[in-house]
Amino acid sequence: MSAPLPKRIIKETERLQNEPVPGISAQPHDDNARYFDVMVEGPGGSCYEGGVFNLELFLPDDYPMCPPRIRFLTRIYHPNIDRLGRICLDVLKNNWSPALQIRTILLSIQALLGAPNPEDPLNEAVAKQWKENQSEAIETAREWTKLYAQKN
Amino acid sequence: MSSFPPPRHISQAGRSHARGHSLAPNFTSSALPPSNVRHSSSPNAPTSEMSLRGMSRLEGQHAMDQSRFLASKARVKNLNPPVDMRLLDYVAPYDGNLMCPICRCPFVDPVILTECDHCFCRDCIRQTWSAQYNPLGPRGDCPTCRTPAKLGLRCATSKILVNILDDLVVKCPRSEEGCPAEVKRGEVQDHVNIYCGYTVVNCPSDDCELPLRRKDMPKGCLHHGVCCFECREELQISNLERHWQSSCPQRTINCEFCDVQLTFHEREQHMKDACPALSIPCPGAAFGCTSRGRREQAETHSRNCTLARLAPIFAAQKQRLDEQEAAQKAMAHKLDIFQDGFASLQSLLCDPSDGAGLTNTQATVEPPGRNHRGRSHTMGAYAGTAEPLDLDFPTSSAQWSPSASTAPSRPAPNPPGPRPRDLPEPYTGDFDLAAPAFPSHSMTQEMPYTSPLHHLLSMHESLRDEMSRISAALAEVDGRLSMQSLNENMRTREEITYLGAQLAGLSRQVHWLTSSQLQRQQPQGAGARPANGSASSNVSDMTSVEAAVNAASNGLRGSQRMANGGNGMRRGLSEEGRTKL
Repeated sequence: MSAPLPKRIIKETERLQNEPVPGISAQPHDDNARYFDVMVEGPGGSCYEGGVFNLELFLPDDYPMCPPRIRFLTRIYHPNIDRLGRICLDVLKNNWSPALQIRTILLSIQALLGAPNPEDPLNEAVAKQWKENQSEAIETAREWTKLYAQKN
Repeated sequence: MSSFPPPRHISQAGRSHARGHSLAPNFTSSALPPSNVRHSSSPNAPTSEMSLRGMSRLEGQHAMDQSRFLASKARVKNLNPPVDMRLLDYVAPYDGNLMCPICRCPFVDPVILTECDHCFCRDCIRQTWSAQYNPLGPRGDCPTCRTPAKLGLRCATSKILVNILDDLVVKCPRSEEGCPAEVKRGEVQDHVNIYCGYTVVNCPSDDCELPLRRKDMPKGCLHHGVCCFECREELQISNLERHWQSSCPQRTINCEFCDVQLTFHEREQHMKDACPALSIPCPGAAFGCTSRGRREQAETHSRNCTLARLAPIFAAQKQRLDEQEAAQKAMAHKLDIFQDGFASLQSLLCDPSDGAGLTNTQATVEPPGRNHRGRSHTMGAYAGTAEPLDLDFPTSSAQWSPSASTAPSRPAPNPPGPRPRDLPEPYTGDFDLAAPAFPSHSMTQEMPYTSPLHHLLSMHESLRDEMSRISAALAEVDGRLSMQSLNENMRTREEITYLGAQLAGLSRQVHWLTSSQLQRQQPQGAGARPANGSASSNVSDMTSVEAAVNAASNGLRGSQRMANGGNGMRRGLSEEGRTKL
């Protein structure tokens, strides 16, 4: 049996639903309030614009002392996101702080989509392409967004 | 996800708070034991007159009372854990600036990091920097601004902030059970420990160990069973109130949509049929009408909606269709079963006759011819005795079997057979019996089989025919074989007797010759010296004797040849050579 949810998770969930961040939505599962279905829109002006990316987010038992676990479910062409959807983002790892929240983390991810960082890659092939021929890489990202991240 | 460790800050907060209000539990303990005091003090009055034994007895009782008191205190403490400030519900919304960024609640025992002036609950920041998450001890980066900081002695916040926080009004933690109290946060622990009527305490009865709510204390022990007068459920008086509040099916509730008072068990019915506030779909919703509305609106709508008016007809049609479909399904199922059964029956019938099928069909095509051929065969068997020496017997039944191509071309008397006495009795009987035993045989050949039974019968019959034919063939072959061996035997016996006769003749000749020789030698032995030239005449005599022998043997051979025919020629020649040697 799971322990009762900490007040913080309840409050965060309530606030996510009552005052949603534009372009981001997070819906907890009915049977597990620690598991969220997340939708992040590609930031305007980036090569992911117009795409809607699905993610899954899980709050571990130690949350907020340890970071939530997040993974992209939609395929995305991005140097910091690998084929399994894992995200290379410092605040999800060493730089996690308990003062961060689900909404701030999702905003960071949206920002990461707007500013790919090929210098700290998780997907080597994409990062290489990104460094060698950026325009082509951006074009590929745009195509992938059209291919996989369209709202249905 | 299933085992969430108890939030450390909560338990620590509880502890710290208990420290802050350390008076309260003490007070409870001193407030509670009136019974204890009463018990031990009343017998204590006449101690001076008591003997030493009485004193020790009293002391023992006192110790027992004390241990009981301690046990009950521990129990009550277990029943009433210290209030967790983070689980409290605040009556009014509070200033966001009073919220800890880690636990998202108004600060509990706040500290300010001197390095960056950010404020957190003491337990929150301690846990963040605890060994599990930070091996460096109670130091680390500020969770908000990442400035390296540590918890020092001067981290305590000003009294103003603490007072503001303590003045926030919260609901009693037992508000769900019915406590209406709303108190300042700083006083909530005192409220729970001293005043709250819903806090659990020991039963005032001495011999009852069960817990009781404080507000029920004046009523005395409530731990005996009663019956709910509404629903007749048996339960204890102490639980009666909760039962009426939350579980009795007869309890009164308000409909959450239309504010009508009703009992709990009527609720479902009310929701389904009566609640006017509930939006219900048009009766024709199942057939495409998308209109929804409150009960009155829905009624007016359904009066005008074609789909709603047609709904009963549609429903009846649908029901009928469903019934038909179900019936059809059942029929299809039955048909399947029958087909399966039929197929298996067919396979059962056809499989064994597979091998005999070819001859069977031929047999059914022209049975009279077959029958006739069968008789001609027997006739041939009779005629075959004329040439006993012909060894060209048909040995396989295939050669013999009346296949359409070979049988008619062969002249009837040609195939040689055994003599009639060699044939077994059922040979002819079977053939003759076959027709009368199954009179329907010819009928089934002409018309198509009217039923599986007929088919089966005809199959059986043809099989029987086949069997009888095969047995007849077997018998014939058997007879021929025995005949052949008999012939061979006779010939061999004849030869043996002939050879014996020859041998006897030869031995007689040899005897005659030797005796004549002996007779001649005896007179010669008497007059050997006188005639030298008689030796040559002797030699010529010998050759003449030999020629005579040869002539005799030749004569014999000629007679043998006469008896044996051409077959004995070879043997005669070899015997001639033998006699020459």
